[in-house]
Amino acid sequence: MKAYYTYFKLKFITGLQYRSAAWAGISTQFFFGFVYIMVYIAFYESGGKNIPMTLSETITYLWLNQALLALVNQFTRDEELFKMVREGTISYELARPKNLYFMWFFKVLGQKLAAVTLRFFPLIIVTSLLPEPYGLGLPVSFIGFIVFLLSLTIGSLLVTALTVLYPIVTLATMSEKGIVNLMITIADILSGIVVPIPFFPLFLQKISSVLPFQYISDLPFRIYVGNIQINSCILPIIIQFIWLILLIVIGNLLMKKNLKRVVVQGG
Amino acid sequence: MKIYFKSLAMHLKGELEYRVNFILSFLSQILVFFTYYFIIIALFAKFDNIKGFTMYEVLLCFSIIQFGFSMNEVFARGVDRFDRLIIRGDFDRLLLRPRNIILQVLCSDGDFVKSARVIQAIIVMIVALLHLHIEWNIMRVITLLLMLLSACIIFFGIFLLAASYCFYTVQGLEVRNVFTDGGKHMAQYPIGVFSKGFVLFFTFIIPYAFVNYYPLLYFLGKKDTIIYGLSPLLVIIYLLPCIIVFHLGMKRYSSVGS
Repeated sequence: MKAYYTYFKLKFITGLQYRSAAWAGISTQFFFGFVYIMVYIAFYESGGKNIPMTLSETITYLWLNQALLALVNQFTRDEELFKMVREGTISYELARPKNLYFMWFFKVLGQKLAAVTLRFFPLIIVTSLLPEPYGLGLPVSFIGFIVFLLSLTIGSLLVTALTVLYPIVTLATMSEKGIVNLMITIADILSGIVVPIPFFPLFLQKISSVLPFQYISDLPFRIYVGNIQINSCILPIIIQFIWLILLIVIGNLLMKKNLKRVVVQGG
Repeated sequence: MKIYFKSLAMHLKGELEYRVNFILSFLSQILVFFTYYFIIIALFAKFDNIKGFTMYEVLLCFSIIQFGFSMNEVFARGVDRFDRLIIRGDFDRLLLRPRNIILQVLCSDGDFVKSARVIQAIIVMIVALLHLHIEWNIMRVITLLLMLLSACIIFFGIFLLAASYCFYTVQGLEVRNVFTDGGKHMAQYPIGVFSKGFVLFFTFIIPYAFVNYYPLLYFLGKKDTIIYGLSPLLVIIYLLPCIIVFHLGMKRYSSVGS
């Protein structure tokens, strides 16, 4: 366990060094946040039928999304892992006497947490000071906030498990272009980081509720804004937890299977 | 010009060497880009309109922007990835040749997988046009063509500006995404839906509004003045300072060595 923790800490501290990248990220996220919010405000002003979230709920959701984007997105792929698979340096990793899956898992977790630590505070502070209707709102209640934190924690582990899964799939397909990239794109949409899940067409909402992706960030964010009531969020959190366990198990099995026939290309 | 097309053909041949990979990437591009359109369609299922613009009007607007952006990704890849040229020191080689430097940068790279996006944009545009009941006349046709042209030019100008920045920092600029990707995301909606400050910035500093807002108003018959229809021509003027900035940057260039 201690080895994994050291691995995690190493990646976390390394990740904290990339401060100028973080500033660039923050400014981009501010801009995108504003654009999205203005689009939604324009939509809300024009009116519509059966709008699933109130404007202030939507805006808070969007800011949480931007502030935590580095943590909850799947599109920043771990290039290092893909490179290991592509160039065969994975053989060094295999020489180490530890479970490769968990080494990768804690490595990705460390990187994600470092990236979000750098970006999170400036965004949260500035956006909560913005005037109505642009600002980030308070959580629906104190209990709501606690449940949000719990659900977000499981969500972060879930997104880590998924991020590790993509290079493992690449072990079989050899190139991450094509299929794997396509998977990541679809997973990102279904996680609600592009449009919140309640805005999806009904049939897609149904499909997405049995898939793991919306449990990464859509669930915690909707608990925070109060779009999902506290007493009705127990079942989704259980599903969230089951998916986490399931994905870790799948990741481990798939890795064992794919490693059996791994071919190291040159050396 | 002949040189440019010849080098494009070479890049295309190069890519087609890996045929399966090319086809797969091509298909995945189409699916990936469907997601952008999906957002618009999903939101219009819940809302009636956005500041008076209907879904097909927004789709038309977006497909034009998408067309301009993707055309640049296919044909001006070298400018888009200019930081690579500088970092690898390949730019020095280009400087030694007795040809126009921007032309040479254009020749240095091409990405034909992205033509999937161009085709997709054209398809979406046709679908939107079919649903819009436009009273066609010669001026409207000219306006539409001007919009398409100016969409290509504006992104070329922005790519060029971002490329000039590499002369100073060597590394590519991440903030440039705000103006390319961010601008693209924003310009998928008619600029008029945004608040005043944004509209002013994107009229006078980066003239997206002349690509997809003022001409769009004329095209859809919301405004009758012909000036609106011809306003994309202003974007061509915008290209001049971009080229000048690029040449100024080049004077400051000192090689990174290789």
